[in-house]
Amino acid sequence: MDILNGISQGLQVALSLEGILFVLIGVLIGTLIGMIPGLGPITAIGVMIPISYGMDIHLALIMMAGVYYGAVFGGSTSSILLNAPGIEGTIATSFDGYPMAQQGKAGKALAIAAICSFVGGTVGIILLMSLAPALATVAIAFGPAEYFALMLLALMAITSLSDGSMSKALISGVLGFMVATVGIDGQTGTPRFTFGNINLLDGIEFLVIGLGLFAIAEVAILIINRNNKSQTKLHKIGSLRLTKQDFKEMRGPMSRQSLVGFLIGVLPGAGATIASFIGYTSEKKLAKKPEEFGKGSVAGLAGPETANNAATSGAFVPLLSLGIPGSGTTAVMLGAFLVMGIQPGPLLMTEQPTLFWAIIISMYIGNIFLLILNLPLIPYISKILLIPRPMLISLVIFFCVIGIYTLSFNVFDLYLLLFFGVIGFLMKLVKIPPAPFILAFILGDMMEQSLRKALTISNGNLSIFVERPIAMSLLIVSLLSLVIPPLFRYFKRKNASA
Amino acid sequence: MKKNLFLIAISLTILLILGACSDSSSGTTDGEWTPEKSIEIVAPSGAGGGWDTTARMAAKVFDEEGIIDQNIGVVNKTGGGGAVGWAYIANYDGDPYHLFVASPPIIDVPLSGQSEYDHTDFTPIANIIADYGAFVVKADAKWDTLPELFDDLKEDPSSITVIGSSSPGSMDHLQFVRFAKAYGVDVKDIKYVSEQDGGELTALLNGSVDVFSTGVAETVEQVRAGNVKVLAVTSEERLQGDVFSDFPTAKEQGIDETFVNWRGFFGPPNMDEEARKYYENAFKELSDNDAWKEIRAQYGWDEMFMGSEEFAKFLDEQLDVTKELLDELGLTE
Repeated sequence: MDILNGISQGLQVALSLEGILFVLIGVLIGTLIGMIPGLGPITAIGVMIPISYGMDIHLALIMMAGVYYGAVFGGSTSSILLNAPGIEGTIATSFDGYPMAQQGKAGKALAIAAICSFVGGTVGIILLMSLAPALATVAIAFGPAEYFALMLLALMAITSLSDGSMSKALISGVLGFMVATVGIDGQTGTPRFTFGNINLLDGIEFLVIGLGLFAIAEVAILIINRNNKSQTKLHKIGSLRLTKQDFKEMRGPMSRQSLVGFLIGVLPGAGATIASFIGYTSEKKLAKKPEEFGKGSVAGLAGPETANNAATSGAFVPLLSLGIPGSGTTAVMLGAFLVMGIQPGPLLMTEQPTLFWAIIISMYIGNIFLLILNLPLIPYISKILLIPRPMLISLVIFFCVIGIYTLSFNVFDLYLLLFFGVIGFLMKLVKIPPAPFILAFILGDMMEQSLRKALTISNGNLSIFVERPIAMSLLIVSLLSLVIPPLFRYFKRKNASA
Repeated sequence: MKKNLFLIAISLTILLILGACSDSSSGTTDGEWTPEKSIEIVAPSGAGGGWDTTARMAAKVFDEEGIIDQNIGVVNKTGGGGAVGWAYIANYDGDPYHLFVASPPIIDVPLSGQSEYDHTDFTPIANIIADYGAFVVKADAKWDTLPELFDDLKEDPSSITVIGSSSPGSMDHLQFVRFAKAYGVDVKDIKYVSEQDGGELTALLNGSVDVFSTGVAETVEQVRAGNVKVLAVTSEERLQGDVFSDFPTAKEQGIDETFVNWRGFFGPPNMDEEARKYYENAFKELSDNDAWKEIRAQYGWDEMFMGSEEFAKFLDEQLDVTKELLDELGLTE
């Protein structure tokens, strides 16, 4: 009865004129901010906290939630069109989205991204609504040992991120790990590889590396190849229309990744970025034509795009049902709750049922808005590609610089951006793929810290990883994901020759 | 259309940057020195944290209640647990238009060698609020009091893990060590893990760690849900408020120690005496203001006003206590 009551009151708030208006404002701001490389949901919500002071609690939080998932939705656009990830969670989107745009199929790529985002987001909300209380226990089942095992599993993705040369992928991954160690070590408080520079104490910001290795390096390549006639296809947007074949290829990834992405999103600390990488690699492992991945594969775009949006819905599980922030963005949202005088906690659902349900129901509406906002806009947005090359290049650099500067208001980060741009350019010249670098960088810090936390807790005893069932299962799956594909290929070849 | 889109994008970006600054109005107040241009308050952390909130709320009340008749903008300088922001302020030697908000890390961070500047380099203006720490265990844990926990810790330090959000040698770690030391526990053997991704409560609830050292406000909802219990709070006397007043102090359990998470404001090095006085009075007025009282209640902050002189003395005392602890832990540079 209580739940039904809560739902109906939540519906009233979410479906009221103001409710719908604020969802719309939220998702609109979110998509636009998501599209601008470097500006992410954290900045947006942080800035909105003082603005929303004095607003109605429900409306303010509905709007902020809209900014969050709107940004993840919109972040794919610049990943696809410019190879500049709009936000952290859409790096993997560029692996196949950008090649697709280069082949003159930008319209199609954006349409796939929008539909998959919608499906991932919506399935995520349904799961959030029906499973939140039950999943709360899953979210807290993960201790340091489990996180280490999960990070190891995600790391296995490096094997599928190579474009042929495994040793080059490994070199790239090791570089990423090395950069991840820069900064104050969490467990001892000792600065590592900071060269006495206070700007490096907090380590290097993810987006500095993401935009450097991807966007700036790509811009450098564009400049070098400016007289190359074979690049002219980039000026074509292509049809938005998806064929039956496309839908067939999207169906599998969409259904699998909305579930997997959601579950990863539920885990505090994992989030959209890791979900999208796992979405990408697991689809590559399952694909009939894995060789198409990285060259504009439909499944390679659908996988991560579904997963990251589903993960965003998942991230609301620990926040709403436990009062625990699962990611940087939800931590800032937790701050927003506090400013509004609401303590999100295990009792939120019973004590603030209207708020709980209003947010969830508004998320459905928000996702529908996002789809109808994004699809018709595609022809216009993708016209970005028609901008004359010199201007486009300047704009990309302009947005990267602004985005990075607003992260910390620190000019030093701009030098770092340039530095990683050069590194990314050099890596491109010698054909070392940047994706393993970024993956290792994302996982590196959390993996190392979880390992050391786990070992501190167990007094240095490695058995902690096998005594805990979830940790052990994850380790076994990691091992299998490494061993099975080669074995499989071996037997396939044997059968074929027999 | 594409032009429009870019215009929207660009204006949005500019709006965002401008959003970080705020407010308006002008004029003068009586007194020896009054500000003649806009004032910048630096929060040496990202948006949404404790420093940021304190600075923004103070700026808001200063403006809305007409305590300071100049624009006040809050600027975030993130990095190094405050070190980046402090280095920035140190550049404004004697400039009375740059203030910053600070709390215990301005003592701990320089002591562990991570900042070139410490509190003595700046001009303390006033302290305005206080927060307190709490030691939390799972609801079904075997300990019901802090001494019970410390007895077990004395017996077998390897069996108990403490978790907190700050890095070793900073707040959450130090407050626990401080009380353990007062009870006679060998603090070098305490196992502390630092969790900076927001997973502290998770780790406590799933039994990965045994004790969570944190701020009082963070615990209330979990206590109400019956998931955890608070062994002790670090304040001198019991706190006010619904759930808060149920938390025992360490003092009433026979451990004579307290810890205050104070929050105050500083000016740059060598700030002019007249300007310092002006700000000191302004913060006093803020502290007594009803709008500020409301904000304090909303965030669960306690009143703790200290004028410049008293604040400076308090900081020196804190430095001595903290240095002794860090020396014992082997964490000083």
